Amino acid sequence: MNTKREAKRLLSMAILAGKIMLENGAETYRVEDTISRICNSRSFITYTEPFVTPTIILLAVGFEDDILTYVQRTKNKTIDLNKIAMVNEFSRNFVSSEMSIDEGFERLREIDRTRPYSNYANILFGGLAGGFFSLLFGGTSNDFICAFIISMFVVKINSFLSKINIIYFVNNFITAAIGTYLAIIFTKLGLGSNMDKIIIGLIMPLVPGVAITNAARDSMLGDFIAGMSRGLEAAIIALSVAFGVGFILIAFHGGM
Amino acid sequence: MSYIIQFIYAFLSTLGYSVFFKVPRDSVIKSSLSGAIGWLIYIFSVDLLPSSIARTFLAAITVGFLGEFMAKRFKKPATIFTIPGIIPLVPGAGMYYTMLAIIDRDFNSAADIGTEALFIALAIAIGIIVSSSFSRALINLKPKKHNITI
Repeated sequence: MNTKREAKRLLSMAILAGKIMLENGAETYRVEDTISRICNSRSFITYTEPFVTPTIILLAVGFEDDILTYVQRTKNKTIDLNKIAMVNEFSRNFVSSEMSIDEGFERLREIDRTRPYSNYANILFGGLAGGFFSLLFGGTSNDFICAFIISMFVVKINSFLSKINIIYFVNNFITAAIGTYLAIIFTKLGLGSNMDKIIIGLIMPLVPGVAITNAARDSMLGDFIAGMSRGLEAAIIALSVAFGVGFILIAFHGGM
Repeated sequence: MSYIIQFIYAFLSTLGYSVFFKVPRDSVIKSSLSGAIGWLIYIFSVDLLPSSIARTFLAAITVGFLGEFMAKRFKKPATIFTIPGIIPLVPGAGMYYTMLAIIDRDFNSAADIGTEALFIALAIAIGIIVSSSFSRALINLKPKKHNITI
């Protein structure tokens, strides 16, 4: 019954669960935790050792007198907390029930397909986020309107560029540059009064706040490789945004 | 009065980010509330702590504990409450002014503001870690239940 094939299927299901979590912004320790829980829940697995970095998942499990190993490369980083919560719930269900591995695969694929909010909601709320941010930092109501409109643009451009597979550095650079250019135009037309407050609002969706926090957290928990690569990711994203904003400011607003 | 307005602004901008980060629908209001409360702590403690780094740390600890509490209460991972919750504290403005100073070749103030922004970012991370490890320790102190929570 508990054949080697079954052990292999369980292994690749655990990897799929980990991959979904990792690609949607989960911390590495949470991914490792989920993978070991899923594997250890079945009695024919004698030993589990996951190793997760932000770009790769390694998993070794023991089955009878054999060790099975699997390597999974991960790509396209977005933040989708809904999927993390769903995989978390799935792993809890899987561990506490006798769910078959086929059903587990089916559910995980379903989780990977879910989209809790429509594109329009995403754009609208991205705009709200930027707009209220400029208010929070002391912008006026005119600045709010400008930041709202430009942030919606920024979110739209960002998701479009990542859909056509522009690498994230260029993507952030172009998005920040277009946003800043629009902010300059809006202020020159007299629609917005504080250009800096508008720009701060609209770069907030691009700023790597989550990456910095996760990097520091991984390093402080002892996952140094994950911490290093997340930290580098954060630094490069910050640089790309700064280049985009700075380039436009120098070119169209004086300076240097 | 201004506190109420700031609370509302922080709530609504965290709400925007919660949808942007695709927080599950039933948790959007909760995570926005944790962001707004964190920001309120940050502006309330102005008189108590003059350093914005220390205030960020205090606010991040609050957000972290709130997130862990809600995670336990609603059986969701703490991340979905803490990631939107820390957003108002993230030093986006500090980054912007650092870059502005570099463009103006004013490297003294660039180092000044940049260091502050960096330490604010670290203070957020440390605050979250401190609160999550403390609450995990508190959970472990209690007698073990049979079901496992992540």
